[in-house]
Amino acid sequence: MENPIWGNGLFKKKNKEDDIFTTLKKVPIFSDLTPKELTEVEKIVHRRRYKKNDTIIRAGDPGLGMYIIVKGSVEIVEEDEKAGKRTLAKLSDGSFFGDMALLDEDPRSASAIALVDSDILGFFRPDFLDLIYRKPKLGIKILLALARVIGERLRHTNELLAKIQEKKD
Amino acid sequence: MDSYAFLLYSQILKIFWRVFLIILAIAFMVFAFPYIKDVLIMFIVAWLLSVLLNPLVNFLEHKGLGRGWAILIVMVLIFIIVGFSFSLLIPRIIRSAGSIISKLQSDVITDFSLMIENFFEKNFNNAELGRNVTAKLNEIGIKLLESLGEFFKSVGSLLASIIIIPFITFFLIKDARRFKRAIISQVPNRYFELSLNILHKVENQVGKYIQGQATDALIIGILSILGLFIINLAFHGPVPYFVLIGMFAGLANLIPYLGPVFGAVPALIIAILNNPPNLGLVLLWIVIVFILVQAIDNAFVSPMVVSKSVNMHPLTVVVVVIIGGNIAGAMGMLFAVPFTGILKVASSQVIWGIKNYELRHPSRVGENLSKKNK
Repeated sequence: MENPIWGNGLFKKKNKEDDIFTTLKKVPIFSDLTPKELTEVEKIVHRRRYKKNDTIIRAGDPGLGMYIIVKGSVEIVEEDEKAGKRTLAKLSDGSFFGDMALLDEDPRSASAIALVDSDILGFFRPDFLDLIYRKPKLGIKILLALARVIGERLRHTNELLAKIQEKKD
Repeated sequence: MDSYAFLLYSQILKIFWRVFLIILAIAFMVFAFPYIKDVLIMFIVAWLLSVLLNPLVNFLEHKGLGRGWAILIVMVLIFIIVGFSFSLLIPRIIRSAGSIISKLQSDVITDFSLMIENFFEKNFNNAELGRNVTAKLNEIGIKLLESLGEFFKSVGSLLASIIIIPFITFFLIKDARRFKRAIISQVPNRYFELSLNILHKVENQVGKYIQGQATDALIIGILSILGLFIINLAFHGPVPYFVLIGMFAGLANLIPYLGPVFGAVPALIIAILNNPPNLGLVLLWIVIVFILVQAIDNAFVSPMVVSKSVNMHPLTVVVVVIIGGNIAGAMGMLFAVPFTGILKVASSQVIWGIKNYELRHPSRVGENLSKKNK
């Protein structure tokens, strides 16, 4: 990512082979976007580097947005004072987490910790809301894809619930 | 014991370096301030302009224009409007200021002084007291004119920067997100979400506050001009510089409680200096106009455009205006309350962030996990 303070703001070359671009393209929420639209998203994501064992998000903190793993590995954990740590998922390159925070500011339900040194992209709600206003067509595309992802997850949860119910009966 | 002493020594050294760096930074700012003051003012003006113009640019972008084009169109439009009104207003302002000064130097002021002295001699049998009051009034008048002169001087330097400010504004609007990303990229991971969230909230609230204040000032200015124009129509022009006075009333409205009084005083003074045949009635109507404008502001305009989160206690307003006046004269008085409003909005968001992110507990999940892994 070019430094905007010292870099040339007017005549910069766009490198579409950039790993941010290719990572974004793999994420279901952005998979329907055209290269031009992806460039708009690329402009508002934040690139962060986390060292092994660094906390990316903490349970209980206000939700701000989603994270996409460019390179690395992340563990999603739930921590209980009595039961201790419980791993919910281990995610790797191209995976994403925290997407519900794109919709509201409810506290994070779990924490995310880098298992190895990781390169991560952050896509945050205030930038997303701003994008929806400025580029409504693009915003709706992302919102629809987000709804699809959450819908799929809900369907999967329903199936699991049904199975548990069957076992109980 | 040795290892403990070593740890303590390294801790003390760390604190010493931090304090030293902070003192160095403050000293640098104090020494560099006179040299960077003008650039700083230009940046502040450009930032205010960018905050005011950003919604317009976003609106054009929303309608399908590219951001660069949207900024260019808004800037050109602003240039035309500002250029047009300046070419109309500046000669009038200069003429108005000139004739106000000549009026002040003319017989009217002497008559007015004599009137006050006679009043004190008749009612209190003390002409000396009357002379003291007029001397004091004269002193205040001269000070006011001096601060007006300083104001125009600073406006002059602003006019000299008229090319640089739009240039900075253009890039502040165009690259605001990139600058923000560059700043936030320097924040350690531990405080990243907190800083980003606070930055967004402060930006949003401060933006709304500035836009609200500007809209309020504009509406009050227009209403005051309209009211004074009607008085001029009804009483054959007793308030000659009503556009200038209305604009001042709009600006003065930035100061709650005191602003309306500051706004009305110039109109009353000009009317007294102009000395129309039915002066009493004219003064009464001027007061009525400003009370009406305030009533409209309080009932309709303010609730709609100004954020409620920046309500200030009257005492706070008075203290802040006095401090502003001491620091930067008339301009300081005018912008003290909006500046305090910005600080209030920003600090409330910072406090929200600190409370919600619970920075008081350093041993959190990640740290616990790293201990377990070790």
